[in-house]
Amino acid sequence: MRFTLINNLQKDSTMSLILKGLLVFMLLFLLSDILVMKSSFGISAQTINTTLFGDEEAYIDPISESSFLEFWHTQIFFIMMTLLTLSAIFIRVAKRSRTLFTNIVMTSAIISLVSLPLGFYMSKFFIDIYIWTYFIWHTIALYMIFYSFWKLNAKSV
Amino acid sequence: MQKAYKLSILYYLLFSLLLITSAVMLFEHKIGFSVNQVLEYYIGSEEKFIPAKSAKGILKLVLPHIFVFGLFIMVLLHFLVFTRLRYKKSTLTLIYLTFITALLEIFTPFMIISGFSFFAYIKLFSFFAFLSLILYIFWLLFRSIVYE
Repeated sequence: MRFTLINNLQKDSTMSLILKGLLVFMLLFLLSDILVMKSSFGISAQTINTTLFGDEEAYIDPISESSFLEFWHTQIFFIMMTLLTLSAIFIRVAKRSRTLFTNIVMTSAIISLVSLPLGFYMSKFFIDIYIWTYFIWHTIALYMIFYSFWKLNAKSV
Repeated sequence: MQKAYKLSILYYLLFSLLLITSAVMLFEHKIGFSVNQVLEYYIGSEEKFIPAKSAKGILKLVLPHIFVFGLFIMVLLHFLVFTRLRYKKSTLTLIYLTFITALLEIFTPFMIISGFSFFAYIKLFSFFAFLSLILYIFWLLFRSIVYE
């Protein structure tokens, strides 16, 4: 990542603009992710439980193991790539809080991804952990995007 | 390398471990780890009512993996450039082997459905060889980050 080697990002208007463009796309990705999850997989305990285990009264079949594994596999890849890129930008522009926020966003995303199969194979209790950590990492990632955007517009980075 | 970047790479390795775990589970669930299971999955089995895979179907499945494998390997291997291993000849061999096993893993199904059953062995071998190489790279990066 070339931008990690540039001394003053603000002075490098081309790289700064490219990074701002990337941040806009990341913002759109995170917001769209929430909307898509809401309409397909669910973002509340009740809707996620219905997707995973079905609902006899509403005649909804549970998700197949194969579909679940494919969904989980895809989620891991997209989240890891998004957060690696975002944290690389954030670390470059933030000074004091970078370690703290990187730790929170990464840890909560990993817990969320681990609790998803645990909820499917072991106990519904992990679904609640999945939802909490899902929203924690999304909130922190959104903050990191806005902070990085603001810092890239500041006088000196 | 800055401490914060080391942290970011360590988390990337953790995510990658999760990705590998999910890949192994998916492979085990959909295909299986024996040569017969690999052949049945691609060529089909009348007894077990498994339909044969077509080249079109395989290409559809392979398409995102071509891009994802390339990107994933590139990101992982480029971290080695920031370590002392950059100047070692063995690193070049590691890079070649990783890309070659990934290519074999992706494209062997086309040979299997073309009638070359032997490629079922290569499919399994390349899958485990690729995972072993990735885990070895994890270890190299982890050691460099923690001890250097």
